[in-house]
Formats: sequence, structure tokens, C-alpha cells
Amino acid sequence: MSNLFIRKATGLVRSWSVMDAFVYAFFSINLVTLGLYSFSQMYYFEGGMINALIVSAIFIFFEVIVYAGLIAVMPRSGGDYVWQSRILGGAVGFILAVTGWWFILWLWVPLYGDMFRHIVLVPILGIFGAQNLALWFAGTQTGAFVASLITLAIVSVFITLGMKTYAKIQKYSFYGGVLGLLIVIVLLLTGSNAAFKAGLDANASSMFGAQAGVYDATAALGTEAGAITPLTGGTLLAVFLVLPYMVFFNLWPNWGATLYGEVRGATDFKRNISGMGWALGVTTVLGIVLFLAIRKTIGWDFYVQAGGAWWNYAWGYTDVVPALPIWPYPALLASFLTTSRLVQFIVVVLMSLWWFGWCGTVFLSSTRVIFAAAFDRLLPERVADVNERTGTPVNALLLMVVPSILVAYLFSYNIANFQTLTLCSTLVIAVTYLGTTISAIILPYTKPDLYKASPIAKYNVLGIPLITVAGVIFGGFLVFLLYQWLFDPNGLYGIGLSNKSSVVYMLGMYVLAGVIYFGFKSARKRQGIDMDKVQSEIPVE
Amino acid sequence: MTILFFATDIHGSDICWSKFLNAGKFYEVDILILGGDMTGKAVVPFIHQGGKNYKVSLLEQDFPVTNDDELADLKKRVRSRGYYPYLTNPDEIAELEKDPEKVHKIFLQEVLKVFQQWMDLADKKLDESGMKVYCCPGNDDMEEVDEIVRASKRVTLAEGLVIPIDDDHEMIASGWSNRTPWDTHREEDEEQLKVRYEAMVSKLENPHNAIFNIHVPPYKSGLDEAPELDEDLRPVLAGQSLKPVGSTALRKVIEETKPLLGLHGHIHEGRGATRIGKTLCINPGSMYEQGTLLGAIITLGKNKIKNYVLTTG
Repeated sequence: MSNLFIRKATGLVRSWSVMDAFVYAFFSINLVTLGLYSFSQMYYFEGGMINALIVSAIFIFFEVIVYAGLIAVMPRSGGDYVWQSRILGGAVGFILAVTGWWFILWLWVPLYGDMFRHIVLVPILGIFGAQNLALWFAGTQTGAFVASLITLAIVSVFITLGMKTYAKIQKYSFYGGVLGLLIVIVLLLTGSNAAFKAGLDANASSMFGAQAGVYDATAALGTEAGAITPLTGGTLLAVFLVLPYMVFFNLWPNWGATLYGEVRGATDFKRNISGMGWALGVTTVLGIVLFLAIRKTIGWDFYVQAGGAWWNYAWGYTDVVPALPIWPYPALLASFLTTSRLVQFIVVVLMSLWWFGWCGTVFLSSTRVIFAAAFDRLLPERVADVNERTGTPVNALLLMVVPSILVAYLFSYNIANFQTLTLCSTLVIAVTYLGTTISAIILPYTKPDLYKASPIAKYNVLGIPLITVAGVIFGGFLVFLLYQWLFDPNGLYGIGLSNKSSVVYMLGMYVLAGVIYFGFKSARKRQGIDMDKVQSEIPVE
Repeated sequence: MTILFFATDIHGSDICWSKFLNAGKFYEVDILILGGDMTGKAVVPFIHQGGKNYKVSLLEQDFPVTNDDELADLKKRVRSRGYYPYLTNPDEIAELEKDPEKVHKIFLQEVLKVFQQWMDLADKKLDESGMKVYCCPGNDDMEEVDEIVRASKRVTLAEGLVIPIDDDHEMIASGWSNRTPWDTHREEDEEQLKVRYEAMVSKLENPHNAIFNIHVPPYKSGLDEAPELDEDLRPVLAGQSLKPVGSTALRKVIEETKPLLGLHGHIHEGRGATRIGKTLCINPGSMYEQGTLLGAIITLGKNKIKNYVLTTG
């Protein structure tokens, strides 16, 4: 029986494909780039990695519910900026949005660049026999800086091509990348530890000039570096202490969620949860499978020790170049199980698609926030200019690229200890998410009419709105993360209040955001525009 | 100096209409302009189950109604999203399912009923304010609504007219759009749109100081970016893929005429402001389902835009 009569009207579209939403979320919590990069750094924890993967995924599922809920209540509104502005006020919305979706992305650029050199440049150059160039990229500060500059160039090209083209690139990258990962897993599951040792000795030597006995030497260096992280087990506390590092990789299933489109009913709310939730679940399972495959052939202890050996050197705790003079990239290590350079090349190229299909996200969200702020007259109008010929948002791009070059320089050359700031990249966005989560928690109570007329009005847990319950759980998780990062009682994350560079950098961003907001608000006031009023709700009666 | 408030695409939302009428006093502006697409997109049947009981499904959730208070509350909730509540019974529903023409008649009847209520409210609220109010129905609005606006004391139907805004500025207006996949009420080919626009432009005394209140945005202005759809009207690539859907004819006319200001809507996601040459073009976007009135306040100076800001009310 009909429960709704709809007429022909503009914008009445059918639901988007859950698969498409899944692809975007799946790439946002990118197992190969974010995952492998951060796993290798987590060599000194006592909690099991598989346990931490599962526990973090459980908490992050509540993030999925929070964001799917907000999208259902306030669809197509632009995400965190609008949600927070409307519920928590204009200043909070602006400051948290520009820091979390714009400023902190400057720091992500050298991180993307670091992953680019380790996942794309070094393996491909090694396979092609360009040993010196590969080692220059892998082990020098200038190599890291140049990799960041190339990253900026590639991302700028993607921005110029536009979202439509990039979304297609992303989809092809998904299929190619997944194929590559499956080949890696098959290689690892069908190989043996002895074959791997032999392959490592042969290939590390021919590609990167490593000495014989690289396996044992790497293991020894890793042990010296304090590499102990187990695959499973650990006390509950030990597992929880892994999470503030783990979320560098998997806190982002919601990254593109605000674009999913119109939400017409409860089904679309569930579709949103499905897209993000399946991405989280599948990534978690793939991570576990990859870990088990690594354990079988590479050896878990060796994998952790190789990570320890590399980062102990890269972070400057030792001057001794690791026996394996490149980042221990599992895909490349797996390709050592074959002697065919062609197969090795195919594996590495397919796996590099995980980076190419993901890297554009670093600026795409930022340009949206910059545009939204300009339209709200909180930035000069010109920052939203688009070049008519190329369709490129030139000025917005400059606002991303120029500071990113500076931050990449500081990071690459480790000036003012900038390489210790890696987890700040996650902390600042987590603060933005916390603002959104608080908005979600109070939404049913502060905007009851809006909430009651939404597709999630009937989802309750013991009479409490589901979005509030999910928000409290995810918010609690974020508070735990922030406490650990900021106070760092066990000295595990290096970005807390004891790290002067970290405090100055993060505080500087919030001060800058505040100065822009209040500066423009004051300037607009002089021009006769009351920013408080233009963001206030007009009385209905 | 004249201050305008412009909003658009409120799609049947009572809340947004009330806010629009109150916007003049709230923002202290001189003139209110409402772009097109004022009518809602859906009728929600309240199916009588005997006594005071109704069965209602809103946004795929069932809401059983058992008393007058619940009925009134749910009607209000339905109206807040711009939908039209319609009290009916299972027999009529069965009949309507077989006869789309009858559904169309009910739709029209509910749309016109609400439209009349809106004009009555405007006449009452703005009776002594002296506020000028202009409406220009859009491509989603049936032609029958025009007569109701024409009969209003306080609201002027702007479609096809050249309206003097103040001593220096005139406004032309049209709710017609280029072709859409939905075959809506006021859409036509680009060539016809060009003729429509040029007919109005030819009557302008000073085109460079004019305001183009045209529902559809100009092509490739950034104000016309909509999710790309496949042949089943399904957003492709999870809505990530956007494409320009504005009017090429309008863009050409703006480039040739160089008016002072373009006021547009149509694409709810296209909120923003941009310049085509020296013409400032604005699409305030729409969040009508949430009862939020998105708008723009524009201060007109002599031969220039003195200031503008997008609003979230």
C-alpha cells in the first residue's frame, strides 16, 4: 500500500550505490598507505595488533553511526562545519572545521609524501635497478622533501582534473589495488620463511645493495630498537594503549560521507551505515588476514623488528643505517618470493594504486572548507575563485600548497623536531570529530523538531536516541584518545604536552583559526554585516 | 542604498515560508525576493484506521496516530519537511494506486491549498510593513500557482517582468529552466530560454545595473554543480562525481549583458557566490527539509554591489 505519493520534481534521485560509498570509505581507511605505514611504526607496544584492530573497529563503528545519523538529519549540508556551526555556534564550527579539514592537512602532505616514496618511488626504482636514486629517496632528507613536492604536484593535477575524474581514477585504483593486495596475500600464504629469507637476501642485495645476512642483521637491529609488539594478546590496558596509534589508520570511514547524497528515509540511513560500516569491517578483516599471512612467511617478529630497525634510524635514535636500507614494505617483501622482475613490478604497481586512489583526498576536502568559509565571508571572496579555462580553484589550492611546502620542509629536515608530530595529524582531526560528536549527542534535545522530522527519529536504545548513545560511546573513545595523546602518561606517542613543538604547532593552528574568524567577523561588522545574525535562526512566528 | 534578501527553493516548507516573511524585519532589509520551486515534492497519506487512529509512514518509518494531539503533531512534522499531509482511507488509497490522474489532482489540490495559506499569511504579516515581496515560481511549480500569487495584496509575481527595484536598479525574473531529467513544469530548450531572457533584457533601461533573478544558474558557474546521475537517476560514484547542469543560454546572456547581479537557485547543493566577468552571481542553496532558510543579503550601491553575505537562518 502506498505510503507516499511523489511527483516529478528536480532532484528526486534514487539511492546511490552502497558499493560506491564503500569504495570511498574503504580507500579513506587505507590499509596499504595509512595502515602499513603506521603499523611499522608501532613496534614498541605490548598489546596485540589484531586485538587492537578489532577493538578500534568496534569503537569506530559508533563513529559510523554518529555520522550516518547526522547525514540523515542534516543531509547535503557540508558536513562538520555546518553541523557544528548550527548546533554549537559559528565560532566553534569555523575553528574546528578549518583546523581539522584544512590547516592540519598541511602536516599530512609530508606524511603522504613519505608514504609515496616508500610505497611507490623506492620499490619501482629498486626493481628498475636505479639503486642509488632509490636509496637517495629512501634515506635522505632531501629525498623525502622532493617526494613531498612530487606529491603536491600530483595532488594539484588531480584537483585540476576535478572530482568527477578523480572519482573514476579512485574506482579503477580500487580494483587494481585490491587485485595487488590479493596477489601479495597469496604470495605470502603460499611461500615459506626459508624462501623469504633467500629472496630477501638476493633482492635486497641486488636492488638496494644490502649485505648478506640481512634477515638476521635486521632482526638484531630491531631487537636493539625495542621491537616487541605481539600479533595477539596483551592485557586490556596494553591493547587500549595501542589504539591512539592505530586510529592514525582507521579513524576515517566517514571522510567522504557528507557527499553521499539525499537521505529520503530510514533505508538511506542504513545504506550510509552499510557503506562506511562494510568498509571498516572489510578493512579490519583484510588487515587481520594480511597480518596472518605476514606471520606465516615473513615472520611476525621479523616484520616488527624490521619496522623497529627502520624507524629507529629514520627518527634519528641511531646513525647506523639499517641492514635493510629501505622501509620494510610488506608488498615489496612479498614480491621477493618470486624471482621474476616483471611479477615484482606488477605487484608494486598494482599496490601503488592504493596511494594514487587515495592521495587526492588530502586537498579535496580542504578546498570545500575554504570555499564554504569564503561564501560565509569569513575569508576573502577571491579565495573561492576558479580559473575559467581549467576549472582549477587556484587560490584555494595555493592556500593548501604553499603552507604545505613549508611544513614538508620542516618535516623532511626534522627542523624543530617536526618528525615527532606525526600523530598531531590525527589528534587535530579527532578534536574536530569530537565537536561533531558532541553536536550529535545533543542534537535530539537542542533541535527536537528537526530531529523528530528526520529518518532516524525512531531509532532508540532504552528510550534514548541512538545517535546520542552512539555519540556518547564514540565521544568517550575520542576523550580517551585525546587524554593519551596530550598527557601521554606512558610516553608512547610523543606529541603530548611535553613536546614543545607539538604544543606550539597545534596551538598555533587554533590561534590562527581564531584570529581569522574573529578578525573577519570584526571587519565584516565594520562593513555592516553582523556575522552572528546571518548565522542565527530567523524566528518562525 | 537598497538592501535585498534573496532565498529560493523552499519546496513547500511552512517553516521556511514563515522565516522568509520574517526575514525583512530580522535582517533589516528593504526588499524580499523568493526564487522558484516553492511547492513540495510529496504527499503523505494519513490512512484512517477507524476512530482517531491513522496509519502514517514518514521517511520509511511508521507513526501510528491514536489521538488528536498526535495527529496535529504529525501533520506539523510532515509540513516541516515540505510534504503535504492528506487524510484518506484504505479504499481511497487502493483507488489512487490504480489512477495516477487522481493522485495528480490531489497533489494539485494540496499544493494550491498551502499556497493560498502562504499568500494569506503574507498579506496578514506584511500588511503594515511596506515591505516589497517578489516571488517567481520555478520549474518545479505548477502554472496554477501563478494566479494565487497574482491575487495576493503583498506579494508580486515577478515572472517575465522588468521590475524597478529602486532609482538605479531593475530586476528581470524567470523561473524557467533548461531541460532536466524530471520533465518538470517549466523547462524548455536553451534556444527558447535565450529568447525568453532576451525579451526581458531588451526592456531594461540600464542592463549593466540590472538584477537577473533567474532560477537556473548559469552553466559552469560552480553554482550549478549537481551529482552526476546514471540512466536510472542514481548518483554515480557515491555522489562524488559532480557535473555542471546550468543554462548555457543564461551564461551567454550574462556574458553579453554584464548585469550587476544574478540571483539563482535550482541546485540545492550549489550554495556559493561567483563572478562572471563583473557580474556577481549568487546561489544561496537550500536546506528546506531541515527548516533552515538559506539566503543572501545584498546591499546595492549606485552602480555597484556594496556588500553581500550568505545567510543561514
